[in-house]
Amino acid sequence: MEIKQTALAGTLESSDIQVTISQGNHGIEIDLDSSVEKLYGKQIRKVIIETIQAYGIENAKVKAVDKGALDCVIKARVMTAVQRALGTSDEPNWEVL
Amino acid sequence: MEERLRRTMMFVPGNNAGMVRDAGIYGADSIMFDLEDAVSLAEKDAARILVYQALQTQDYGDSELVVRVNDIDSKYFKPDVFAMVKAGVDVIRLPKTESAAMIHQLVQVIEEAEKKFNRQPGSTHVMAAIESAKGVMNVLEIAQASDRMIGLALSAEDYTTDLKTHRYPDGAELEFARNMILNAARTAGIAAFDTVFTNMNDEEGFKREVEHIHELGFDGKSLINPRQIDMVNQIYQPSQVEIEDALDVQAAIEEAHRQGSGVISMNGQMVDRPVVLRAQRVIRLAQASGLLNEEGEFIEE
Amino acid sequence: MKVNQINLQIPRYYRKWQQFLLKQGITGFADAELSAIDRTYIWTNEQREVIATGSLAGNVLKYVAIEPQYQAQGTMFNQVISYLVNQAAALNRFHLFVFTKPQYVKSFEYVGFHCLAQTETGAILENGTPDIHDYLNQLPHVADGKKVAAIVANANPFTKGHRYLIEQASQENDAVYVFVVSQDVSLFTFDERFKLVKEGTQDLENVMVVPGKEYMVSYATFPAYFLKDDQNVGRYQAQLDAELFKRQIAQPLGITTRYLGSEPYSKTTDVYNEELKQVLPPEVKVKIIQRAQTADDEIITATKVRQAIRDNDLQTIRRLVVPTTLKYIEQHMNELKERMNSNGN
Repeated sequence: MEIKQTALAGTLESSDIQVTISQGNHGIEIDLDSSVEKLYGKQIRKVIIETIQAYGIENAKVKAVDKGALDCVIKARVMTAVQRALGTSDEPNWEVL
Repeated sequence: MEERLRRTMMFVPGNNAGMVRDAGIYGADSIMFDLEDAVSLAEKDAARILVYQALQTQDYGDSELVVRVNDIDSKYFKPDVFAMVKAGVDVIRLPKTESAAMIHQLVQVIEEAEKKFNRQPGSTHVMAAIESAKGVMNVLEIAQASDRMIGLALSAEDYTTDLKTHRYPDGAELEFARNMILNAARTAGIAAFDTVFTNMNDEEGFKREVEHIHELGFDGKSLINPRQIDMVNQIYQPSQVEIEDALDVQAAIEEAHRQGSGVISMNGQMVDRPVVLRAQRVIRLAQASGLLNEEGEFIEE
Repeated sequence: MKVNQINLQIPRYYRKWQQFLLKQGITGFADAELSAIDRTYIWTNEQREVIATGSLAGNVLKYVAIEPQYQAQGTMFNQVISYLVNQAAALNRFHLFVFTKPQYVKSFEYVGFHCLAQTETGAILENGTPDIHDYLNQLPHVADGKKVAAIVANANPFTKGHRYLIEQASQENDAVYVFVVSQDVSLFTFDERFKLVKEGTQDLENVMVVPGKEYMVSYATFPAYFLKDDQNVGRYQAQLDAELFKRQIAQPLGITTRYLGSEPYSKTTDVYNEELKQVLPPEVKVKIIQRAQTADDEIITATKVRQAIRDNDLQTIRRLVVPTTLKYIEQHMNELKERMNSNGN
């Protein structure tokens, strides 16, 4: 599966994360902006990568602006962004969900 | 139907990550995650997934978990119901309910989803929001439409618009609907929830309204702000006399059990089932209000 | 609290919106600023008072203001920006800019914007994708130690004057970037201008013709509504543009000289050249080349070419442009004139 269309999900409000996903050519590249990058950066990246890979996507560029989101919120926002990019928002992939 | 307290049903906007995360910490009897009115069209997909993920991973304690899905005619309805059934939500709330047929339609989609996601058939309950004159006039058939039904809720914003009026402080415009909904709920043996009170600055008005619906017999009220939870609970707190009467009934029940008798009697009179049910409810309320401990003893103030 | 999209064409909304902004100290409501706005949102409280607003003008966030009592901890600000970014995304705009006072740079950085340039009076920040790094990565790069120059041109259309300027730079440097302005507000479309510059410089091997994208727009369109009446708008715009070029373009690409044509006719461009001379050195030298002239001492400008197209004066056009441009104009004469008539270019 490939990302062709850019999509964004999430907000910049406290406890949320804003995720933009676009076409990439070098695996899953993540540009993370988080005030807790030092403490949780690794974990946040891991959740992002695993969520994207669950859709069978190998290449994508991801920009994430984190405002202290829990793992489940990160996962939800990445999934929303991916489904928007794939144009499948109203027919969610039940296997991934 | 499972008997439980439903004094407070707190509305949580489904796309607000902070509020979805914190919904469990206020001690609401029921939490209603909203995918409908609180979520703009562009964010329907985001809210659905956020609530799904939160239901999968967050601990909401003993609260009953309710999700208000989108309109039955919208393209969001089916994916909403599917996602929530998969997440294992307790109750799905159908907005703008006007007939038993709409509940049947909802139940059909739920059955499909329970099968698809290997969930216990019948484990997903439903409730109906009554938001129009038609809904009020059909409320009994709605209440009795399915054995998955756990409650009815009045939604006053749309209802008053449909009646060509709006909300007034004395609530006279809602009186008929409240009584219809309450009586239908009692006939069907399910819960009745009152509408939200939106003006957060009018604390007196809020209290007045909660006292009124408590007197009518409503199980509880829909809330938009966690600050309202304590106020509702205080009004629903039983009096010392009520608690003592309830404890007397409970003692009589235990006595009957001890003697192996099927008949509960007090002071030489038979105790009716409604009296037993009321006593059980008062004891639950007293425990939830922190007036009785687990053993049914008064907690010293 | 509620958020609503409002239509500023309706006087009732416009007044409400403007009153709120005036109260927040925003006084710039020039037509040029307002006409670019395509979406405006207002946030109101339970009492229906406006407590915040924000607008989109293409990919620029504009007229963002929040009532001071709602500014605590920046929650409202984050909510407003977040909402605007989401609305923009729904319109397929993923690369956003904001122009603001220097004291708000931190607030925008907190919500994921990156500062591209900053002066005493204003700053420009961007957010989203593709960003300046993606842009730079797409450009050809020159090996370290080489002498690199740059020219920014709209080339509407490409003339002998442009050619002369580029030739000079080409002879005096190892490599030359020619940035063609991407903004499509000229008679010749970007694709046409870009193609004509490319064709007209094909023989110059050390010249790289590249698109300027959002980083080299007409600086005169930089929003300035947040400036006070007594602040010099033209200077702020020129300085910011120069800073942007110096920090984000020249430095990473190793550009050490910027070539400019002298400006005998346009006072605005003259002011701009003056600001470049103030801001760019010492890191980037500014070299002003005398305008090229025709055999009979006529100064060559693209404006004259456009006038000649209007007048159907192929003689003049032939004197002013290079053969590749001439050929293109000859082939598209009717279409160009039609465009002139339809949008007054």
